[in-house]
Amino acid sequence: MPELRTEEFQINMGPHHPSTHGVCRLILTMDGEKIVKIEPVIGYLHRALEKICENRTYAQCIPVTDRFEYVTAMSCNQVFSMAAERLAGIEVPERAEYLRVIMLELNRIASHLIFYGVTAMDLGALTPFLYGLREREAIIDLFEMTCGQRLTYNYIRVGGVARDIPKEFIPKCHEALDTITEKMSDYEGLLNENPIWLVRTKGVGVMPAKLGIDYGVSGPVLRASGVDYDIRRDDPYSIYDKFDWKPSVRQNGDCFDRYLIRLDEIKQSIKIVKQALDGLPEGDIKAKVSPNFKPPAGEVYARVENSRGELGIYIQSDGGKKPLRVKMRGGSYCQLQALPYFGTDCFIADLVAIFATLDIILPEVDR
Amino acid sequence: MLDGTGSMGVFKDIKNLLIGMRITGKHLGRHAITLQYPEQKWTMPERSRGVVVLLSDKETGELNCTSCMLCMRACPTAAIEIDAPRGEDKKRTLKVFNVDNALCCYCGLCEEACNFSALKMATMYEYSTPNKGDLFWDMKKLQEAGRDVPYEDKRKKKKAKPVEAAPINEATPVKEDTKTDSPPPDDKASDTAGKEDEG
Repeated sequence: MPELRTEEFQINMGPHHPSTHGVCRLILTMDGEKIVKIEPVIGYLHRALEKICENRTYAQCIPVTDRFEYVTAMSCNQVFSMAAERLAGIEVPERAEYLRVIMLELNRIASHLIFYGVTAMDLGALTPFLYGLREREAIIDLFEMTCGQRLTYNYIRVGGVARDIPKEFIPKCHEALDTITEKMSDYEGLLNENPIWLVRTKGVGVMPAKLGIDYGVSGPVLRASGVDYDIRRDDPYSIYDKFDWKPSVRQNGDCFDRYLIRLDEIKQSIKIVKQALDGLPEGDIKAKVSPNFKPPAGEVYARVENSRGELGIYIQSDGGKKPLRVKMRGGSYCQLQALPYFGTDCFIADLVAIFATLDIILPEVDR
Repeated sequence: MLDGTGSMGVFKDIKNLLIGMRITGKHLGRHAITLQYPEQKWTMPERSRGVVVLLSDKETGELNCTSCMLCMRACPTAAIEIDAPRGEDKKRTLKVFNVDNALCCYCGLCEEACNFSALKMATMYEYSTPNKGDLFWDMKKLQEAGRDVPYEDKRKKKKAKPVEAAPINEATPVKEDTKTDSPPPDDKASDTAGKEDEG
């Protein structure tokens, strides 16, 4: 009788898998039910955004950066504007800085609410998705009344912001923030103690802090592993040093902590927005910048903390009205490249949880 | 299997499940927040950026456009096409004004570039079509779409000034507020050359 033997086999997860949040293909090498090896295959959504930027003037690049990381497009606008301002030495008026911080933090809340809903949906809980997106809708309405679009804002410009907020913005914003504060107990009540949720997330996909640092992981994913590093505090840009808040840090680095840290960040962001709304000064909203301005030759790297980690833009200028080279750096890319080193030795269902809590957005990976 | 061990753990798990059920149950009696789309519609905010339309003068009914081509140059995707040849008196007459809505990225830069309230992104968003070619709107269609669009006339400030003829002249209405460098109005060639790469 021949001896029974086992062998590893490969399966594809994606490119069209509902839990890969876009078009990402993971080649999984399986040993029975266990994952032995993960090979991410990316590039399905490549749109050559960096190259497109090199053929546009600086003002025309801002709508392109909207498509870079579309869930928090405000931070993409912000980082490109910041880079161009540093290059050309443009001073931003104070009111514009306040408006920027309000919009950036509102966008972070909206992004984390999507995370809350989509992650729970990936793990089989449908109700949180409806709750999370209901409150996000209030924030999106605020953006729409201010800049006219719901996702691709084109709001933060080189030298300031595009338009001032309408009169009804401030009361509506307070209302939305109060609703979210009130609903936080609902969010936590639905999942934090739920036994099924705990079994699916606690102790699953633990990312050691050293591995994260080695692979350039940043943002909430790294902070969930116990590294107290937030660009808003450690390399302050805009006017973040004026507000009273503190980065959230968790110690375990598993899926559950990565989920909790987003809820913590929503609370911190609400704090920042409230302070910014109270301290909003009167004044100009935009420095005088020509649409075809030419910054002097040189290079600059600007970075912001967005909801997926460090978002950076490197611009090299030759003194013309178009950038000579643009490089975009996103947090999701680094999280995806670290995934094969801590996502193995678990079931496919666990990989879905890990992938969801990394909060990867594929258009940013492929750019 | 679940979090608890033994019979007490099971009770704890059931209790925690019931907490979630209670939160869901609270919403059972409330009415839905969704709208039945084709019958009911949201009123869009005034600043909402929908399709580009051409605006006409409220009194004369003629287009406000002065063929200055600023919108064409501001457009990042080259969705706007203008042809306005010079007549014998050196004045431009608008012959062609096309907007390819399939290319448009709804950034609103054209509306900001325009100093004469000649075009606007209206709040209209229902113009999908099974035929891609129908998204190519010519001057007549753009004017018709913008007929009833309310707008704030930016030209009134200009009219108060004694130089009335300025808008029609070639002199591109570029703001003199340049800090770093004044925009060269004449290097249209390099602008369009850069834009063609996207197609």
